Amino acid sequence: MSERPLHEPTFLMLTALAKGPQHGYGIITDAERISGGRVRLRAGTLYAALDRVVAEGLVEADRDEVVDGRLRRYYRLTQRGDDRLAAEVARLQHNAAVAAGRLEVRRRAFGGLA
Amino acid sequence: MTAAGGLEKSYRRLLRWYPALYRHRHEEEILGVLMAAAQPGQRRPGARESADLVWSALKIRIRMVTRSAGSEPWAAALALTGVLLPLLILLLKLVLFLDRGAQYGFGSPADILIGAYGEPGSFARSFQLNSYSIALTGNVTDALTAGPVPALILATLVCLGWRRAAAGLAAFVPLAFLAISLTSGYTLLGAPRVDVTLYAYGLEALVLLIAPSAPRGWRALRWRPSALLAAATVAAGIGMNGGLRALLPARPVNPAALRRLFRARMFNIPHGFIDRLFGIGAGGWGDWLLYQGTLAAVVIAALTIMLVSSSVNRRVLSLLGIPFALGAVIYLCSLINPPLPGAAGNALTAIPVLVTLLAAMALVLANSHPVGPDSPSHPAAPQG
Repeated sequence: MSERPLHEPTFLMLTALAKGPQHGYGIITDAERISGGRVRLRAGTLYAALDRVVAEGLVEADRDEVVDGRLRRYYRLTQRGDDRLAAEVARLQHNAAVAAGRLEVRRRAFGGLA
Repeated sequence: MTAAGGLEKSYRRLLRWYPALYRHRHEEEILGVLMAAAQPGQRRPGARESADLVWSALKIRIRMVTRSAGSEPWAAALALTGVLLPLLILLLKLVLFLDRGAQYGFGSPADILIGAYGEPGSFARSFQLNSYSIALTGNVTDALTAGPVPALILATLVCLGWRRAAAGLAAFVPLAFLAISLTSGYTLLGAPRVDVTLYAYGLEALVLLIAPSAPRGWRALRWRPSALLAAATVAAGIGMNGGLRALLPARPVNPAALRRLFRARMFNIPHGFIDRLFGIGAGGWGDWLLYQGTLAAVVIAALTIMLVSSSVNRRVLSLLGIPFALGAVIYLCSLINPPLPGAAGNALTAIPVLVTLLAAMALVLANSHPVGPDSPSHPAAPQG
């Protein structure tokens, strides 16, 4: 059975963690960068999503650090998370390739009519 | 207090919405993220940020409940209850139908649909005796709760493993009943049998949604035949015993009258289906001990089996007891003298159903996306 597509914030979060372990605020800023400034996760949303992906074994806690008296917990992608992200990338690439091919054909047809 | 100090305090107040266990592990971490993401000089959390935290906290709470429900032995108990409860409702309706039918005769198919017993034609006659709309709404509510058909459909859907359709029907029946009753000026308080049915349907919708990974359909029963046997015996016992209705006093409650009534009823308990089936006439204590007493003993034995056999069965028993306990509370409220105002009684009766269905809806929302948040993002605020 194929898995359901990832929601964009989850996709961005997993993509951020694909670079290496990151703490919560790091994920927020990286997700914003990856999306070209279009998506900025809120803290509540981020931790609700983290809670879910950790429960599903896609992400796990890496280490804790204290910076300026604040706790930073780093998270990392698991092998399962890596596989899930790879499957999602393949799905998106396939869809994008099909869409691009059809647009190409359509433009050629319109170009021929013009 | 500095702006940062006031902001931190406000954030901590909002974080109290999270479950204590979750907060213990993540509070400092989330607070660090919130403070890092705050604008310079910010004194209070924004409205959308607060709403996001509260909503996420509620989702985490619901997930923690469902995760604990997903652990043994609750998962097994919920799976088993999800199948047993509709069978229990069906059994009660069928036994009542057979009992009343044996006593007063079976009506037309339409009478059977609305659970009307007695002379055939009650369904059609009710249209002549009452104004059309009252008869129609009355028949629809009866068909939903008194007749055996919805219970039969629900039990079939559940046993086939069609969980979503079953949950939809289980939620629809009490909602439709309440919608029709409350818009038609019915007084709900004091109808404990209807209440139990409504609560049982509401609980079934919740149970079906709370354990989505549990084994489906009748296969769940293979593992706990003792619970099935016990629940079926309890249901049959209660149903054949006339639903214990004969022991319930008329209102208002007067202890002396209650004692007299109880004594009179004990000697003259209406005989149920088995009596009719075997052609046994009314009798005194001997017959009572032989039939009603035997049934009571079977019920007690079945309950004892469930209580001592396994931790799963104990949980199943407590879950199956919820609608009956709620029905008993509502019944006791109906005995209050002077009676509660109609609106208060209706609210009292409807609230447990609505709360159960709201909990079921919250579960659907909390689990609507297998991966990914529900209110995930917003356009990035201009940086500066």
